[in-house]
Amino acid sequence: MEKLFNRKVTVTLKYLVVAFVSSLMLMLIMSSFAKREYAISGFLTIGLIAIALTYLTNYSIPMKFFLPGMLFLFAFVVGPILYTVAMSGFQYSTGNYISKPDAISRIIATGIRPDANQTTFDIIVGEDSAKNLEILASDPTNKVYFLSTATTKTDLDPTVLAVDENGDATKAPGFHPLTPDQQNAVDQKIADTRFAYSSAYFITIEGSNVASLKSQTLMYNSSTDTFTNVQTGAIYKDNGVGDYANVANKVELLQPGWRAPIWFSNYTKLFTDPQIRKPLVKVFIWTMVFASLTVLTQFALGLLVAMIMNRKLFGRRIYRSIFILPYAMPSIMSILIWGGMFDTEFGAINHLFGTHVHWFQNAMYARAAVIIVNLWLGFPYFYLICSGALQAIPAELSEAAAIDGATNRQIFRKITMPLLLQVVSPLLVASFAFNFNNFNIIYLLTGGGPSNTLGGDVAGSTDILISYTYKIAFGAGTQNLGLASAISVVIFVIIASISLYGIRRSKVLESFK
Amino acid sequence: MNKKKLSFVGVVASAALVVSALLVPSANAANKTVIVWADNTRGPNLQTVLAAKSDWVPGITIKIVTFSGFDALKTAFDNATALTGPDIVVGANDWVPTGAKQGKLAPVTLSSSVRASFTSNNLGDLTYKGVLYGVPLDYNNVGMIYNSKLTGKPLTLGQMVNFYLANKTADKLTAGLCVAGGGMSFGGVSVLSALGGAPYVMTPNGSVSATADPVPAATVAANINKFLLDKKGKSNGFFPATDTGCKTAFLAGTVPYAIIGNWEWTDYAKAGFDMSTLMPVPGVNHGQYGSAFASVSGAMLTVFAAAHGVDQGAKSVLNNFFGSAAGAVAYQNVELRPPANKKAQKDASVTAAQKGFGKSGAMAGIPQIGAILNGATGGKSFWDLLPAFWTDVLVNGKDPLTSAQKLDTFFQANIAAGIPQL
Amino acid sequence: MKKFLKEDLWRHAIALVICFFVLFPIYLVFLSALSPSGSLQVTSFIPKAISLRNFHMLFSSPLIPYLTWMKNSIVIAGIVAILSVVIGAASAFAFSRLRFKGKKQGLQLLLLVQMFPAILSLSAVYVIMERVYSFAPRIGLGTQPGLLLVYMGGAMGVNIWLLKGFVDSIPLELDEAARVDGASAVQTYWLIFVPLAAPVLAVVSLLSFIGTFNEFILARLFLVDMHARTVAVGLQGFISGQYVSNWGPFAAGSIIASIPLVAIFLSLQKYIISGLTAGSVKG
Repeated sequence: MEKLFNRKVTVTLKYLVVAFVSSLMLMLIMSSFAKREYAISGFLTIGLIAIALTYLTNYSIPMKFFLPGMLFLFAFVVGPILYTVAMSGFQYSTGNYISKPDAISRIIATGIRPDANQTTFDIIVGEDSAKNLEILASDPTNKVYFLSTATTKTDLDPTVLAVDENGDATKAPGFHPLTPDQQNAVDQKIADTRFAYSSAYFITIEGSNVASLKSQTLMYNSSTDTFTNVQTGAIYKDNGVGDYANVANKVELLQPGWRAPIWFSNYTKLFTDPQIRKPLVKVFIWTMVFASLTVLTQFALGLLVAMIMNRKLFGRRIYRSIFILPYAMPSIMSILIWGGMFDTEFGAINHLFGTHVHWFQNAMYARAAVIIVNLWLGFPYFYLICSGALQAIPAELSEAAAIDGATNRQIFRKITMPLLLQVVSPLLVASFAFNFNNFNIIYLLTGGGPSNTLGGDVAGSTDILISYTYKIAFGAGTQNLGLASAISVVIFVIIASISLYGIRRSKVLESFK
Repeated sequence: MNKKKLSFVGVVASAALVVSALLVPSANAANKTVIVWADNTRGPNLQTVLAAKSDWVPGITIKIVTFSGFDALKTAFDNATALTGPDIVVGANDWVPTGAKQGKLAPVTLSSSVRASFTSNNLGDLTYKGVLYGVPLDYNNVGMIYNSKLTGKPLTLGQMVNFYLANKTADKLTAGLCVAGGGMSFGGVSVLSALGGAPYVMTPNGSVSATADPVPAATVAANINKFLLDKKGKSNGFFPATDTGCKTAFLAGTVPYAIIGNWEWTDYAKAGFDMSTLMPVPGVNHGQYGSAFASVSGAMLTVFAAAHGVDQGAKSVLNNFFGSAAGAVAYQNVELRPPANKKAQKDASVTAAQKGFGKSGAMAGIPQIGAILNGATGGKSFWDLLPAFWTDVLVNGKDPLTSAQKLDTFFQANIAAGIPQL
Repeated sequence: MKKFLKEDLWRHAIALVICFFVLFPIYLVFLSALSPSGSLQVTSFIPKAISLRNFHMLFSSPLIPYLTWMKNSIVIAGIVAILSVVIGAASAFAFSRLRFKGKKQGLQLLLLVQMFPAILSLSAVYVIMERVYSFAPRIGLGTQPGLLLVYMGGAMGVNIWLLKGFVDSIPLELDEAARVDGASAVQTYWLIFVPLAAPVLAVVSLLSFIGTFNEFILARLFLVDMHARTVAVGLQGFISGQYVSNWGPFAAGSIIASIPLVAIFLSLQKYIISGLTAGSVKG
């Protein structure tokens, strides 16, 4: 065996892999640092140091096994979880999505309004003789022509101008047009320039050949951090929760706002606002029911099938091949086809049984449908596990028991089940955790529905926490990432306590000593 | 530091060089690129149009990024930032309020000639709080078609119900009228309208009435009882509460009337249905029709364009390609939806069905006002309320009057919350 | 014969009922894939007309590079399956066999991390990978390697947890013997553990292959480019137009996508069953 495991070869191989990975990380550290992604380059640096310490010294043996997995887990699982926790402390929703400086620049941009007639000019972008940005503007309908820079406007005499077939001026004295490439190069400057028109109005460019007349309605004062509406005189102040609000009328906000830290407000809302609390409790209960029922039914059917197949039976191979089909088929497809089957008017189920059940319009039927579909999807897994486990139980055990006069039922309860559970209980826990967050089945099958919307319900009857949170965070109407994050965190604390308690009691972890 | 460690450092350094060669980004092209995000139906069609003619704006290359689906596009846009976000996004008109509130959309001012190519309703669809964010592309609307092999042109809703009840068994009909396109809210609104209700009432000058009753509960309930329910108060099967399977059933000839979307009329035309049987849903009285939403999809400018240094370029693309009649014709010849551009509607290459839907959209539609329909307070949106109403009345056997009253209350709340945002 | 009636008949009866339950939806998938109208709803259980139009569409339209999607799926899921198990197995071995401080806490943390409603990670992952894109465009947002990295992170928790369960059931005597012979932990891992656990590793790889193969929420955000998409994203695209659903090609595509998975399952079924429970009941 020593020969097979030539030390020199393996050590070289190890150094090569470590060298390759560290050099990759080194590269990424440098380029991320150059792009000022300090968080990422910090993480990578720690990772690189950890790799060097672990694999070039014998400081910690377990770490040699853990490190790669840990790095991935921290980067893409723990990291995002921490990000979610952080988001829950912010007013982070539709209308409060960007940073404050961004919000200010958006408000300024939308605070520039076209004049009442929405006057536009056909323009050519160019430069004056002093290389200042200048436009040659034409209004062929009213025969108005002028040159304008950021500071001066020079009217042109229409009678002496060269115009094209649209009546637009093509050239003017002292005006040098810019080529498209030259324009592209100074895009930002063109976009930011306000060309002179009159004291109240200025001109901004809307594309390479159009400009429009604008006036500023909202003025930002950075020293007081307030906006003033020039026309109405209204003053808007930072209201502390991410919006500029009218001082005289606090509910009148400027759009958009920004994500402002509001610390624990999202959490307190969960408990104090009945509009949020009530559906959440309902959804939580159904999630627990859904996950437990799913695991129980899948396990029960899987076990039943395994026991039936646990002897030489004619056609066993064929049966077995059929039974594992649901597991091997893409689940998106299976779920959607089931969705079609449960349709009231045209679905195969009602067609088959001659019924007229409104599966997805009635809460209880919809829940039953979800469980049935999930049973179909998941029982093969438990069938495979149980059947392997049953085969591994030594036949002598049950034979000995039978000789001692035990009935089949007794053998099952006293011998088979305990041995089986010993194997499958961690898998049951894992399956519960998986189904607790089984987004796909709800999202694709019922979309969380039906919901008694007219009765005032916010959540659907088959919404589980993850689909409900998804709706809050990424739904069609108003999105609230901050609140959704807070819900996630609270749910996590609850489920963590339950499962930790459960783990301690069932001694799942102890059995692995 | 022994020899072994030193050689290790050497290996790391040389490997770093190799790796760096793999990771260095390729140099950017000289022409400026405007990035347009679109879903999987529009993206490939835009690509086709741009392959035929690419110089809509001198010095600008238009790059289409096609997402795998409409919801994938929406999720990506919700998450997009200036780092990898688009300059223009092609999407539904109800993205305008959210996009503006999220600070992702940027205002545009169209040239007067481009602006004149669209109705004020079209432009209003893409306007939020008085600011325009994009160019209208094409109409999204529905119309009703009837199966002329089964029945003739109906004049009233009552006629349709009578036909269904009389021929239900003989023709093996699975339903009378069903929604094949647009779902029970967008597509189903014309049925609500035929029964006497609406999400909001428009005043003659084109604004939303703050006072009119959107769903006159007594009238709507009476009509539901008369047309959609049997004597026991259960659905008579004429109008199913869900849209699944409607299209198949209509194409198979087991449903005489269906509400179809203009985006899929070609499927019906291919199956041999005549687009001249297209009409609005007949109302309770002869000469009345249920009105449908006639909203437009739009090409919208994002704030990322400025961050990418192509603000002017992107605006030119909007004015010269998406907004121009030539651009609209070129695009809709491939996309086959009814163009919003008025000059493009008249173009000879635009098909009759496109024109028909377009005309009915411009004529008999109500605008789709996202700020009201999406439910300003976040609780109840029209899109959830109307399907729930159908389910309550047609499936769960709830009293039509109470349900209509509840619907009315929610609609009124949405109107009250939405009007200040217009 | 009497024994057959008593012992086997009821087994066959139940098995047939379950077969019907299993096969019924699959039959309908075939029905809609072969029907010219291609809808998920049935008007009749016996097809009136059969057409291969939907299958033909998958291979003739330039807009549907179906084979490329299949290849992408198999490559991505394959790499994730192999790498995540290679990395996960090491951790699982350490959790199972080594003694160290904080082992119990580590295990609990691993379990809890899986219970976090990870859907919001969507935002976080997007933000992280977008930033990665800004300095390393080959492995950031929108790239297959980027998606692969994210999947690796996601697969880690489940795989370690599953593998640990199986590893625990491998008798201790063998590696103890090796240790007595003076082998280090690392040597024990490579020389004793890996060969013994091979079937288990294969099964867990297969499970993670299936999981990755089916994932579309992240993939559709990452794999925007038509030729970079996976089958799950492509299939979902058929049915998630703004208003349009193409069930026919969707069903046809699903059937073809199932073939490799079903083939692997059927050919390895004995192996899978023994692997899932390799020596799991201590005699």
